[in-house]
Amino acid sequence: MNDEAKLEAMAQRLGAQAAERLNVERTAAAVVERLRAEPASDARWSWMQPSWLRIAAALVILVGGGLIARQLLLQPSTSGGGHEIAHFVREDLTDLSADQLREVLSTLDETLDLRGARTPELDLEDLDAQQLRAVLRSLEG
Amino acid sequence: MAQPLPLTEPSPPPDAALIAAWQGGDEQAAAELVRRHARALARFLAGAGAPEADLDDLVQEALIRAFRAVDRFRGQCQFRTWLLTIGGNVLKDHGRRAARHRVVPLDEGLRARDGDPHERAEAGEAESRLVVGVKELPRLQREVFLLRAQQGLEYGEIAAALNTTEGAARVHYHHAVKRLKELLQ
Repeated sequence: MNDEAKLEAMAQRLGAQAAERLNVERTAAAVVERLRAEPASDARWSWMQPSWLRIAAALVILVGGGLIARQLLLQPSTSGGGHEIAHFVREDLTDLSADQLREVLSTLDETLDLRGARTPELDLEDLDAQQLRAVLRSLEG
Repeated sequence: MAQPLPLTEPSPPPDAALIAAWQGGDEQAAAELVRRHARALARFLAGAGAPEADLDDLVQEALIRAFRAVDRFRGQCQFRTWLLTIGGNVLKDHGRRAARHRVVPLDEGLRARDGDPHERAEAGEAESRLVVGVKELPRLQREVFLLRAQQGLEYGEIAAALNTTEGAARVHYHHAVKRLKELLQ
């Protein structure tokens, strides 16, 4: 018998005595008792935990993605809208009468007031058409 | 109280049938699986260095874990082989706990055993060295060695259970044998 065969023969006996002393019936009863006494709630929880983590991760991706998409969709339209308004004002200022210019300025004044960046008090009634155009151009930036 | 299946029964239900029965809530199916595999599991754990005083607890723990996780068993290997790998994990966790609590196991030779002490001492010397040697092997080498040499499993079965390749299992076995032969010479 070579060394390897001897080693394998010894390995086959390894732990055999200790295993023989194991009371298999008692072990079976104890295992069944523990399976009954420790209900599957623990096991279920361990299964549920990754499921909940997956659901939470999906929600985060969904909500986060939604917010980013919303921002991306809104930003161009907002800036585009502002650009269009500025363009409209620049093109048509010369065609407006003094009353119309005051009306535009009043509207802008309300808008600026809403944004919390109110300009110093102006009495629009005291300004002539040229001054009104100048104010509007200054507001265009 | 559950009774073992009669010995005269021509063909005992295969493990897969017992597993399915247990999944359906049949406790006796679980008990039968314990009867079939507990001793092999104990032998594997003892061979891997489990202290005999803890062997019963370790066997129970491995079986409980297996029954709890049986839904994940896909039949990639035999139920027993899968159970033995779970036993390896249980033993690893036990080793960590023991290291934390600085538990020093009793020497095998000091334990009460049946048989003639002198004869046992002579026969047990090489075995004791082998136990120490196996225990000191890297985990994969140890498990491959025990599954092959102690449990008599084929490399394909071992590879499937340990989620490795047959070639890798052969290499681990070769290294383990080489180290153990050096130790025993």
